[in-house]
Amino acid sequence: MTASGAPRPAFAPWDRRELPGLFGVVESARRVGNYKWIEMRLFEALGGWVATVPELDVKFVLGRQCYHHAWHAELWNKRLPELREMNTERLTEPPNEEMVKFVDAVRDPEAPELTIEKLVGVYRVLIPRKVAAYTFHMNATSRITDAPTIRSLGFILQDEMEDWREGEMLLQSLIQTPEEVERASRRQQALEDLIRSAGGITGPGTLGNSEGQADEAAEGVSVG
Amino acid sequence: MKKILPVEELARDSRFVRARIEDAISDPRQAKVSERNTGSARLEPARPAAADRARQLMHGIFVGEIQALEGAGRTTFDFDDDEIPFQLKLDMARQCWDESRHCEISVKLSEHMGSEIGEFTEATFLYEAACAPDALLRLTGVNRALEGLAIDVFNTMKEFGDVSGDPVLAACEDWMLADEVTHVKMGSDWLRRLTENDPERRERALEFQRTVDKLFSLGGFRGETDENPIQLARKFREMAGFSTEEIDDLSEVATEAQEEARAAADALHGVASGD
Repeated sequence: MTASGAPRPAFAPWDRRELPGLFGVVESARRVGNYKWIEMRLFEALGGWVATVPELDVKFVLGRQCYHHAWHAELWNKRLPELREMNTERLTEPPNEEMVKFVDAVRDPEAPELTIEKLVGVYRVLIPRKVAAYTFHMNATSRITDAPTIRSLGFILQDEMEDWREGEMLLQSLIQTPEEVERASRRQQALEDLIRSAGGITGPGTLGNSEGQADEAAEGVSVG
Repeated sequence: MKKILPVEELARDSRFVRARIEDAISDPRQAKVSERNTGSARLEPARPAAADRARQLMHGIFVGEIQALEGAGRTTFDFDDDEIPFQLKLDMARQCWDESRHCEISVKLSEHMGSEIGEFTEATFLYEAACAPDALLRLTGVNRALEGLAIDVFNTMKEFGDVSGDPVLAACEDWMLADEVTHVKMGSDWLRRLTENDPERRERALEFQRTVDKLFSLGGFRGETDENPIQLARKFREMAGFSTEEIDDLSEVATEAQEEARAAADALHGVASGD
């Protein structure tokens, strides 16, 4: 049984997706495991902080966004077995010890007068780093073979951008004096230094700037 | 940030005034108040103080929602990955979002009803049940007892909205009621899963729930007679996974709490009048 008319190409002229990407299955799974780990640590921190912030608007936003990051963790948890990682716990880990130090530092503030420190860690350091890592993954992986990861990245990035904007607006409304500007800057600098040591959300090469990956990319060969 | 945040460290702004529930129940003036025969205690628009009582109840719902939000949030943080299942953490995060929405709804409804944050006091017994060191106790204390109380309260408020001609109140309470049924069901499901092979642990958790249920009956605040402002919402409790037997037990616990409060009030009245 054949349809009448000339056969159409498998890809429409405007569909420019290509097969090769920078990541193979193993590398994609490793990164997804790192993503799940950081999303878990973040939603736990937001949930834990709800009881420690006196500002009602901040309290409610943290409660709402706690779920956003839990949902991201759930999406990554579902993706891992599809990347041949049946024991999802095995890859649910930080990329290195420096990342653990960074996350511990982000989650450290507890006192009710430290809302600025709490929010700076999340909205001026951690979430921008996540946006960068997720964007790199979306742009670098194959849009055909790794399409399920890209679909999740799209949903998650939309959340991250909206949450980032909301958190930044909260911060701008909380930072009212030169002393508070100084506090926010000091906090950001300290955390930036820690995540720089970690190399980013998935460790060195988070943004594809490690030497090995650059070579592979130049040759058009997937890694991992 | 440390694990397990004590109730004294809950962060609040300057509008909030904290009170102990024990002080309110054992207030000697309560005995005088209870002597008055004002008919049914149900929340009905025809009663002269209905508007004030509804505003006070709305404020109570608001502070209860804040503590439920804080309790769910702490459960996502207080337990490591090897202490509670990943899926349970996700459920608690989802509950966080729901409670956060309920807080927002409650603030708006309080304004709608002519009240404001801090007009009434805040008792923190809800959070106290939510910060038990055992996650299973939190599930029974919070998801089954506290959220069960929320079902009763929201249903009462929804009916008050219906009969008093306030569709905004009735509609909002109905939305929150839907969430609470989900939370109670979540607690019932996790209780069953976590204690599948440990009946003793399940019994300890249910015993804790009975204690919390008695406390949450607030000496006659909740029950199934005209003396109780908040009525047990049997239909919605059944939807949430409570058996008829469990609801009957709860009704008995509520009656016991009411009788104990009455005896305490009589004793206080005796002391006050020198009998």
